[in-house]
Amino acid sequence: MNQINPLHIGALLGALLLFLLFTLSGIKAELEEERILYLESEKLAVELHSLKDAYADKKKSMSALERVLAQNIFKSAELEIKKEKNSLKVVSKSINMKSLNALMAKILNASYNIKELQIKKLSESRASLEMEIQW
Amino acid sequence: MFTKFKRDRVTLFLDPNVKQEPFIFEKKEKVDIILSPSLYWVKKLKLPLNSAREVKKLLPSIFEDSIPEARYSYAAYKSEDEYFVFAYEDKKIFDLLAQKEISYANVASVHFAQSEFVAFESAIRINEKQCMYIKDELLVLAPSEWIQDKETLDMRNLNLSNHTIKLEQFGHIVNKSTLYKIGVILVLLALIFIVEIFIASAKKAQIIESKEKIFAKHNLQPTMFQNRATLEKYTKINAQQQKIREYISYFLGMKLGATEKIALIEYKNALLQVTISDVSKESSKSITKSLDDKKAQYKLTMSGTNMKLEMKI
Repeated sequence: MNQINPLHIGALLGALLLFLLFTLSGIKAELEEERILYLESEKLAVELHSLKDAYADKKKSMSALERVLAQNIFKSAELEIKKEKNSLKVVSKSINMKSLNALMAKILNASYNIKELQIKKLSESRASLEMEIQW
Repeated sequence: MFTKFKRDRVTLFLDPNVKQEPFIFEKKEKVDIILSPSLYWVKKLKLPLNSAREVKKLLPSIFEDSIPEARYSYAAYKSEDEYFVFAYEDKKIFDLLAQKEISYANVASVHFAQSEFVAFESAIRINEKQCMYIKDELLVLAPSEWIQDKETLDMRNLNLSNHTIKLEQFGHIVNKSTLYKIGVILVLLALIFIVEIFIASAKKAQIIESKEKIFAKHNLQPTMFQNRATLEKYTKINAQQQKIREYISYFLGMKLGATEKIALIEYKNALLQVTISDVSKESSKSITKSLDDKKAQYKLTMSGTNMKLEMKI
């Protein structure tokens, strides 16, 4: 007829509660961590998507650039276009200032990753151009 | 008096006034205890109630004014149309059991002498000074000197009734209702915690799933470490390109003097070099001032009238 001491039951329940509290606080901390990570992932994904779209989309950048370079205004500049695996090089031994300004306006107003650029004045109205755009 | 009788189970008569040495018996033997009238208070009542359970609820108030103040437990059983009601102190009985070196674990049942000796017609001597006898159906104690004809206590042929009580071993620490209340609160708290754990786990799983969807939708790399590094790389490229655009646009649109010309703009290995020819002193100051206003870091070299600016981007 031995009975269990209620203090022992109380201690057991207390220990169970402490264990549950500990587990709960651990899960809540993990939840908060996951929530922060999720928000970070969401923000990172949006930022990375827009940056990659601007600087790493080879197909999009290439076709946009080809459309620009194919315009009539640049025909006289005799642009030499060299396509590499991850870059595109534009060279003109002599380009007039009007075409140069138009080309630079289009390049600088878009989002290309300009790796190298050289504009060298040849005369009052002409210059040489070398530009490498990378992906 | 504390006597052992040969039975399948040992029956012991527990009385606090026995002066002799405690009876020695096998520690593993199961014992049935009969409580001496010295260990309880008893009343015989006629009550318009149907069960002993209902009667038991009234017992604290029934005994309230007639017995000394203490922490009592109560019991009742029905005999014909009357109730025998009892008040007893668990602690007092436990103390006596401990004194007699009897473990409660070995106690098979506990009975009141009232229910077990009700059929005895003569008085029974229970210790050196006292005997018990039936008076108006109640078993009462009396000094031995008062009664001439008395028998010695013999329980060999005693058939124990089924009127037993269960002692509250820890009743003096905390009473049952308080214990139940605390228990219910603790169990409720535990349930709340368990539910919260489930909810938090479900939310966590949901967030992980949403995160995986984002990774799949934006074609992200498997780890955040890789993605952070990629983002850092492209953020750096973006910052650099914005600076390049800003400075090249500035130099291409810069107002120069009549004779001044930009001879070279070169960007390579994150270094922007601009050479302006035929620059006057005033014009030189004006160019550097506007660069200073932009808080640009640059290196200026004058070679005659040629001005060379170098900027780390």
